Amino acid sequence: MTPPFVSPTGVEPSRLRPLRRAAAAVACLALLAAVADSASAQYGSTPGIPQDIEGLTVIGKGSVSAAPDLAEIDLDVSASAEITGDAIVKFRDAKKRILEAFDALKLPNVAVEERGLLVDQKGAMVNPYYIDYNVSQKAKSEVQLSRKLVVKATGLREMEEDAALQLVGRLLDVAQDAGARVGPPPANPYYGVVYYRQGEGPALVRFVLEDLEKLREEAYEKAVADARKKAERLARLSGVELGPVLAVREVSAPTNRLIYPAIEPPNEEESSAENRLVSPKLRKIPVHVELQVRFEIRQAGKGNDQGKTSNQ
Amino acid sequence: MASPIAIGPWRENGVILARIAIVCALLGPALTLARGQEVGEIEGKVSNDDPGRPLQMPPASTEVKEALEDFERFQRRGAWERALKALYTIPEDQAPRFVDGEDGFIISVARKRRDVLAELPPEGRAAYRLFYDAEARKLFDEAEGADEQAKLERVFSAYFTTSVGDDAADRLGDLYFERGRFDRAADCWLAALRDHPDTNLSPAALATKAALALHRAGRTSEFDQLRADLEGRYQNETVTLGGRSAPPAELLESLLGAGSPNSEARPDSAIDGGPLELGSSTEPNWVVPIAETIEAGMATAELNQWRASPLSNAAPAAAVDGSRLYLNYLGHILAIDLESGKLLWRSASFHNLETMANQPAAQMTDPAQFAILSRGEFLWCVTRDMKDPNYNASFQLVCRRADGGEVVWTSTDQPELASFEPSGTPLLGDDLLFVAAESQQNQPLPGQWVLAIRPHDGKLIWKTEVGSFRQTRQRYYYGQRQTTPHPRLLLDAGTLYVDTQIGVLARLDADSGTLEWGFGYQTEPTQGNMYVFYNRGAEPANAGGGPIPLGDALLVKGAQSSRLYAVDPNRMKLEWERAIGKSARPLGALDGAVILGGDEVGSLDIQTRNLSWATRLPGGSGSGAVLVRPDGVRQLTPRGVFEIAPATGDIRSIFRGSDLGAAAGGDLLLTADHVLTVSNRAITAYPRRADAPPTPEEKTPR
Repeated sequence: MTPPFVSPTGVEPSRLRPLRRAAAAVACLALLAAVADSASAQYGSTPGIPQDIEGLTVIGKGSVSAAPDLAEIDLDVSASAEITGDAIVKFRDAKKRILEAFDALKLPNVAVEERGLLVDQKGAMVNPYYIDYNVSQKAKSEVQLSRKLVVKATGLREMEEDAALQLVGRLLDVAQDAGARVGPPPANPYYGVVYYRQGEGPALVRFVLEDLEKLREEAYEKAVADARKKAERLARLSGVELGPVLAVREVSAPTNRLIYPAIEPPNEEESSAENRLVSPKLRKIPVHVELQVRFEIRQAGKGNDQGKTSNQ
Repeated sequence: MASPIAIGPWRENGVILARIAIVCALLGPALTLARGQEVGEIEGKVSNDDPGRPLQMPPASTEVKEALEDFERFQRRGAWERALKALYTIPEDQAPRFVDGEDGFIISVARKRRDVLAELPPEGRAAYRLFYDAEARKLFDEAEGADEQAKLERVFSAYFTTSVGDDAADRLGDLYFERGRFDRAADCWLAALRDHPDTNLSPAALATKAALALHRAGRTSEFDQLRADLEGRYQNETVTLGGRSAPPAELLESLLGAGSPNSEARPDSAIDGGPLELGSSTEPNWVVPIAETIEAGMATAELNQWRASPLSNAAPAAAVDGSRLYLNYLGHILAIDLESGKLLWRSASFHNLETMANQPAAQMTDPAQFAILSRGEFLWCVTRDMKDPNYNASFQLVCRRADGGEVVWTSTDQPELASFEPSGTPLLGDDLLFVAAESQQNQPLPGQWVLAIRPHDGKLIWKTEVGSFRQTRQRYYYGQRQTTPHPRLLLDAGTLYVDTQIGVLARLDADSGTLEWGFGYQTEPTQGNMYVFYNRGAEPANAGGGPIPLGDALLVKGAQSSRLYAVDPNRMKLEWERAIGKSARPLGALDGAVILGGDEVGSLDIQTRNLSWATRLPGGSGSGAVLVRPDGVRQLTPRGVFEIAPATGDIRSIFRGSDLGAAAGGDLLLTADHVLTVSNRAITAYPRRADAPPTPEEKTPR
């Protein structure tokens, strides 16, 4: 005969059951509460704004825009050959002809900058679209030399739109006539279907706003003023007085990736260029600043020393 | 429990295994190195029997190869009787089959036999004559009347080393010379002079006749070399030819005055030689629109669909004859008056081509296979019916009247031609039309043939199989296409050269179709039947070119080859070869340089074989006809006609013209009065010499 089961505490199992049920119910409630809290945080509350703080918190926005001063065109100079010496001659001549073509323009506001040299191979690649059994037997791979050149035309801000367009058009013509590939590297159309919607890819010409410091300063000033203005209104309507600023947080600040879509070819050499804004369009480029500012509040009519913050 | 007796052998075996392992480890690298060297050597050598090569010339049987090996083996031992017996076990029907020769040449068994006999040492030669002189003499004596040439050729081929071999070569040379076959005549006399050291014929007379034939055949450098011999080595001898006796050099000079070098050897077009200057004026004399005609009235969606089709990038094949321009635009034949640009006639309207372009059959059609040739009252087109929904439908050869375009004959209506699909542009000789074609009924794989056809009625005069394919055609549906290799023909002094573009340059006798030899060059290995639907990765595009005459040599570059070859076809010698890349192609030769096309236009110095310069043009230079002249290299691009300085590669001028935006690969043609741009957008005629001088702005690259 099997002896009756006794728990290690010495309590009979039948007596433990209600306790277990209660514990399970508490756990479920806690879980539901956690889920509800999470959902609330996700959908119900304003992200980034603490709910349980003292003072008055507002978002201030400031925006300043200016016409771009610089146009940039990316050129690709590449050459490949089975014999590396040939690739060097081809590459050397290709680069020389492009540089000579731009020199021949004799435009003081146009310069060509060189980026790093990439030594790669071309050919004998696995075809991703069908089963390729004889890759190793294919044509010999070629050495490929490539380098990005960036044509920069300055002084756009002083030009009429038509004159700027003429200049950019001329630069594009010169580059193409000199045999350069203009613009970003050709994307695989089948990847393109997936990642790029038509017309959203990198453009042929980048219009750049440089020397952002002054504009940024102005935008920050405007954002702070905007925040104070909003806070004063809220304080007035709430019957309290606005105290000093307790905290400021940048919600958004101008970056050089402001305009382009999220997917952009990586550009290690230019990623450090923080002090510029880039647009694919010839237009005034906006500098946006968004600040979250928390002010202290005081009861109306009370002095600074008697003030007591309240958000209840 | 293991017995102690059993442990002993196991231990011994272990020691032995360990020793073997140590020996293998020590020898392994050496064996691998040796194997690597062997593979490297095999990789460098082109063999007709290599199963990886896409085309195989008609191969000799295994028995023939064994017989040749037996000959070599017995010859080394001095067993002449057995050696010669082995050689003569080769059946006569194997004589025109092919075996590997020297320097990449693939030669006939008959030639191989003659070569090995010519190299016999004196004792071998004596033995050979002992066995075969009587037989050869009998054949030689029987060489009369209708059989004269055949029997002399038999003696020349099979018994050249006998005492009558030189006489047969001399008589055969006379026969060829009388028939105007100077090239072959020269070969016969040169063989008697150089390969028959104990000839009883006068070397001075042989040299004089050979020099005369070489001169008539246009083989300049060989002629110069022989003339120097006549002036030096044979200056004290007297030669009698044509009833005149004189010292050989003097006699040669007098005989040369009676005839001129064969003009067919190096055609010199007065049209190409004249001045050419395109001014800054963009006003053409006339325009025949193509894209505009097709795209008229299209909705945006239709237009996008049409422009996405590979057919929309196809430029028509063009041929100029007299005052007319003939076009083959995707099977639509047009005749245009060169003076006015008026359409004289057309085989069909092409304004509704876009509806066919979207069909699977059209997607898989290779636009480069359409070709056209015209001369006199006829024109010949390689074409197919685009309305045929069968994507495997064959191309056919169609002869039309130049006057009104009526069809005279088609290859599908000729029983002897119906089983062949023409490929590449036909070539017209004096009285024969040559066309490369694929046989469609051979099993298991088709063969590469050359057909000689009577131009006006399509009667087949001869057909010769150059080789059999080991690969089948690739079909492209979407995406980046590799250029389909189409054979190229060149006629030079009665000799027809066929570059198959897939590894073999073949030389044929234009009169008889006899396949003389092939030159095997590096090419991509065999590829199976593929239906390519998408991009093929970043492989270099392929481009072929030639054969292009360069002095005594021919420049050869197969479409699937990455190397350029300079082959001396008469001396059967590879002058030089150089890697230039699969996407490069020879465009022409200028002043010590070979002008190359491809991703760039470039110049290859012939002496140093260094790339002197390279200039990248918009759209590259992978296809299309380029004008290569001493005063400039001119190419039609999507951004106008570019003129490049041949010495430096600098872009000398850009003539925008009125047909900008054309797809890359259009042709630039020259007539007496016009420069014609033939592209997928339009055919435009510009005055050859501009009235107004070009503006300085257009003269600088911009």
